[in-house]
Amino acid sequence: MSAVTERPAATPTDPATPAPRLGGLLRAELHRFRSRRFIQVLVGLTLMGFVLATVIGLLNLGAPSASDLAAARAEAEQFVAEQEDFREQCLQDPGRPDGVSAEEYCGPPLTLEDIGGEASFLDTEPFDLAGSATDGALAVAALSAALAFLIGATWIGAEWSTRSIVALLFWVPRRMTVIGTKVGVLVLAAALFGVLTQAAWLAMAGVLRAFVGVDEALPDGFWSTLLQTQGRGVLLTVFAALLGFGLANLVRNTGAALGIAFVYVVVVETAVRALRPRWDPFLLTTNALGLVQDGGLTLQYWDDQAPVTDGPQLPVEYFVGHLQAGLLLTAVTVVVVGAGAVLFSRRDLH
Amino acid sequence: MPAVQMTGVSKSYRRRGRPPQKALDDLDLLVENGGVHGFLGPNGSGKTTTIRVLLGLVSADGAPDIRLLDRPVPAGLPDVIGAVGALVETPLFFPGFSGRLNLQLLAEAAGVSRARVEECLEIVDLTDRARDRFKGYSLGMKQRLGIAAALLKSPRLLVLDEPSNGLDPAGIRDVRELIRRLGRDGRTTVLLSSHLLAEIQQVCDSVSILARGRCVAAGPVADVLARGSTGDVRIRVPDAGAAAAVLAGAGFAVSPPEVPDGRTLLVHRVSAPGEITRALARQDHFLEELTPLTPDLESAFLAITGDPASAEAPPAGGVPTAPGGRA
Repeated sequence: MSAVTERPAATPTDPATPAPRLGGLLRAELHRFRSRRFIQVLVGLTLMGFVLATVIGLLNLGAPSASDLAAARAEAEQFVAEQEDFREQCLQDPGRPDGVSAEEYCGPPLTLEDIGGEASFLDTEPFDLAGSATDGALAVAALSAALAFLIGATWIGAEWSTRSIVALLFWVPRRMTVIGTKVGVLVLAAALFGVLTQAAWLAMAGVLRAFVGVDEALPDGFWSTLLQTQGRGVLLTVFAALLGFGLANLVRNTGAALGIAFVYVVVVETAVRALRPRWDPFLLTTNALGLVQDGGLTLQYWDDQAPVTDGPQLPVEYFVGHLQAGLLLTAVTVVVVGAGAVLFSRRDLH
Repeated sequence: MPAVQMTGVSKSYRRRGRPPQKALDDLDLLVENGGVHGFLGPNGSGKTTTIRVLLGLVSADGAPDIRLLDRPVPAGLPDVIGAVGALVETPLFFPGFSGRLNLQLLAEAAGVSRARVEECLEIVDLTDRARDRFKGYSLGMKQRLGIAAALLKSPRLLVLDEPSNGLDPAGIRDVRELIRRLGRDGRTTVLLSSHLLAEIQQVCDSVSILARGRCVAAGPVADVLARGSTGDVRIRVPDAGAAAAVLAGAGFAVSPPEVPDGRTLLVHRVSAPGEITRALARQDHFLEELTPLTPDLESAFLAITGDPASAEAPPAGGVPTAPGGRA
């Protein structure tokens, strides 16, 4: 049955008809990303956090004066002397078990070096760039990865909650093009965010070194090691953003994706480390650390299924290198993002 | 070339632990180019599913023949989507963005100029509120923004699903006027899904009626209305009681109107109204009025879709018209 009306027929192809273009979609998605208030606030708060941390560092770190050093040395020496008094009392203790020498029973004398010297008794320590830069880059990578996960999840989760992604399909019906463009924008944004946070860390460390730092020459290979660690930190940030995106796309909800991530990190990984320590080398946070940490990560765990030997049971060592960590994180990311994209391309959308 | 052509389209939704739900059942639908085509059906009849299948949001069972502006769906959708504007159920926009930004993002994705965004905001009378966030809009303003988005592409096919939802009377009038204008421009075909039967009757040139996932009636609105006609006429005479006796004696089915006034009668299933005149005149009763009752679209719709209430409803609810005319 049909409804027929007498009207002039429109031409099959109309030159004025707008057509979706990948460039236009990419521009629109970049515009959408940078217009998101939540993302703007998150980036702003992150930068404010760095400023605040710098101020706190400036107030709590500092080069000690000669009198500070003298006071700290006096306190350290007093501590060592007190410990030596206790040791003397121990040596004269008549209740020492038979067959145990006084040296074995009371231990060796304590020295100033054993307690870290006078530095341990300083109220203010100077900022040591050589000793802190790489560890700081690692911590910043962890922070930016967590925030990138949130950004990735909300980037697609908000689209699902408002269903604006369905409206977008009225304009660009190729679903893989839509999801691929969103992934591309996220990768770009996460990489920029990772670079921004690592740059913020360098700036913060530079300020601390200039005002409250140790003025010593940096060791050979310092910058190379630091920049490589930071580069891998940026890579981790991108992985985290994509995992957040993939999870939220699978469950179509930002909150659910965050919940799954929380349960995985807090419950699943803790349980695995306690019950199946041999699986630890394949956990995501282990590999995240192995990816970013300079030289990779050496794990030690007790394997209750290892063959029993005559000697003392030694922990098993497992080295998680950058390559293994990178490959494992890539595989997991591809599976999570790919599964979400394939489902999106096939699902009925309401 | 039809704007929309669907042949033998079925769609079943799988349900956990229960048999699949059939939303579309071998549906045939043809919407010719130009004008306004109404899309009617009771709740759950498959209207929105049909629109979703048409726009590639939902996949039909098997591989039926679906064509949109002469391109197969879903494979050919990217070729014609630039000529199709749609508002399906509620407008889907980002609540934190302004109305203008929401439209600009869509326009950027499709290569539509910013000037066109401003034109469409003007058309739906939202220019003054374009900077406000979408979440602060009233229901009617949201609906108008949805219509603006559907118009952005200057579409050759405009699909509107319940466009009057949430609009105030003035807004409804404006939207209907806009739809009429688009339907008359010779370039645009409007597919209007609405539960407001009066709206369909006022605005549409043709109509398709769905029931239980099938198209049960289609054609020009006047033809569909005639299909629901029962052949009833209303007569007015000086003495209704005497006239009723005469007509009953002549074999007519007669009943008083809902509110008897002693002068009006309803005569049912009349194939030739002239016979009424003749029968009454023979007994010296002369008509003051004889009006064929054409049912309104609501009556026709209920009769066609098999609503049990309509089977019992007297045709008195019909709208008197000149034969062949429209209410």
